[in-house]
Amino acid sequence: METFSFAEKFNCFVGKNGAGKTNVLDAIYYLCMCKSYISGIDKNVVRQGQPGFRLEASFDVDEKEMQVVAKVRVRKKKVFECNREAYKRLALHIGRFPVVMIAPDDTSLAREGSEERRRFINNTLSQLDPIYLNQLIIYNRALNQRNAALKQFAEDGSFNLSLMEALNRQLLEPAAYIYQKRKEWMGQLEVLLKENYAFISNKQEAVSCRYESKLSQANFEDLLLQNLDKDRYLQRTTAGIHKDDLVFYIGDKPLKRFASQGQLKTFVLALKLAQYHLLQKNKDQFPLLLLDDIFDKLDASRVAQLLDLLSEERFGQVFLTDTHEERMKAMAEKIQHHFSIFKIENGQLKNEM
Amino acid sequence: MNFPSKLIEDAVTAFSQLPGVGKKTALRLVLHMLQEPVEISEQFADAIVDMRKKIKFCAHCHNVSDDTICSICSGSGRDKTTVCVVESIRDIMAIENTNQYKGLYHVLGGVISPIEGVSPKDLNIDTFIQRIPKEGIKEIIMALSPTIEGDTTIFYLSRQLKDQDVKITTLARGISFGGELEYADEMTLGRSIMTRRLYDNDINKSQG
Repeated sequence: METFSFAEKFNCFVGKNGAGKTNVLDAIYYLCMCKSYISGIDKNVVRQGQPGFRLEASFDVDEKEMQVVAKVRVRKKKVFECNREAYKRLALHIGRFPVVMIAPDDTSLAREGSEERRRFINNTLSQLDPIYLNQLIIYNRALNQRNAALKQFAEDGSFNLSLMEALNRQLLEPAAYIYQKRKEWMGQLEVLLKENYAFISNKQEAVSCRYESKLSQANFEDLLLQNLDKDRYLQRTTAGIHKDDLVFYIGDKPLKRFASQGQLKTFVLALKLAQYHLLQKNKDQFPLLLLDDIFDKLDASRVAQLLDLLSEERFGQVFLTDTHEERMKAMAEKIQHHFSIFKIENGQLKNEM
Repeated sequence: MNFPSKLIEDAVTAFSQLPGVGKKTALRLVLHMLQEPVEISEQFADAIVDMRKKIKFCAHCHNVSDDTICSICSGSGRDKTTVCVVESIRDIMAIENTNQYKGLYHVLGGVISPIEGVSPKDLNIDTFIQRIPKEGIKEIIMALSPTIEGDTTIFYLSRQLKDQDVKITTLARGISFGGELEYADEMTLGRSIMTRRLYDNDINKSQG
């Protein structure tokens, strides 16, 4: 077991590749979001041969101390406690301690399919609005029921329109809520994205993001009926908020196809910072900012520039990882803030500077 | 677990088939039976076999019954124009214990859940739809769990009843009595605010 005592502003984990730096960031993320950033499946983040893990943290929010404990056992229900009281549902914990992770593979947000972007939207809105996560859980459950019925119909060669209508109806209320919230918040996110991109790229080109949903053009109940033949043939629901997307543009062209590597990286960094500011403004609390290995391949002046930005008052506590111990030591001396460096070796805390 | 006797082992296996009973608890129960006079075991076994062999399900409502028609359906002093739809026999017991309901019941035997492979034809729905005009039912209370599956079932049933002149009501959903607001979850509290009731109206209703 390792115990860390963190500085108010900057906390840096240094060590070789594979030493366990990201693991510490992920532990912080886990304590906020009830799941790992790296893998959604708990089994994958338990040390091999171990039955589970336990994380404890003490959060200071507005001078109030809160003790959070996560108890995870493979194949058992995980338990989260706040001030020694176990949550009845994990959803009640999410959003209490907002968190944003920035990692090297974030460009997958722009490069890969829409699922990645829906996950990003859901991650952001779950932290902003506790009802959103509930509605999402209900929607997914109702969707699974509908898909199971479509499969069953195909297998028996039967069909029951009343049952289909009853199952459709279960989707309407959560879908309407989720659509409304996504539209509302993604509009706000776009404003912040533009600001952050302009700042990081020195106003080189304009970017935008557009929330796209079939629900914006048609009534969802009508959509479900229109697509019924297709759904029956494919044995799954083809229209709905589970197909929404967030489309990114650079100038007026789709980012995915027209951006350079550098533009792509800058864009996703601006997007994550926009997420940070959206959470911070609406929760009246600084999210924890976790930066995993983002200084890699950056020259010293860019690193200094980024740390300067993060030193500003609109950012709270920052956790970062780096392989260059000396570079971070030099930074710590330059920056007029609390700056702790933790050296990680073989999954253990070696020393604190 | 190793047993000195095949007879003990068989009894332990039998007990451990019960829900919530593991091997160790089963052994404790078996050893307890062994200490008691043999008559206790006989009575115990007879009670179970009798129950299983002789129990009937009510031809009207599918409640458990000693006769063809259950004591609720044949009981006097019950409102035979109101029927309360429940998932299982346990729900009848829970509602009966409130002493607030004097109508009839109908046990569906589950709720619609395609994931679990439960479709409308697996439930006592046909007998229910037939009952309504036959018995002259005026009100149906849908007392199913407030889940997606419960809701789906209620909607499905209401669809099947749309041509019949019958009032359909559902259980109220909201803050539990004696509970404190701050401990209610957002969903429940939000819904309770959306479906709030006129205060005066409430008093009139309970008086009249």
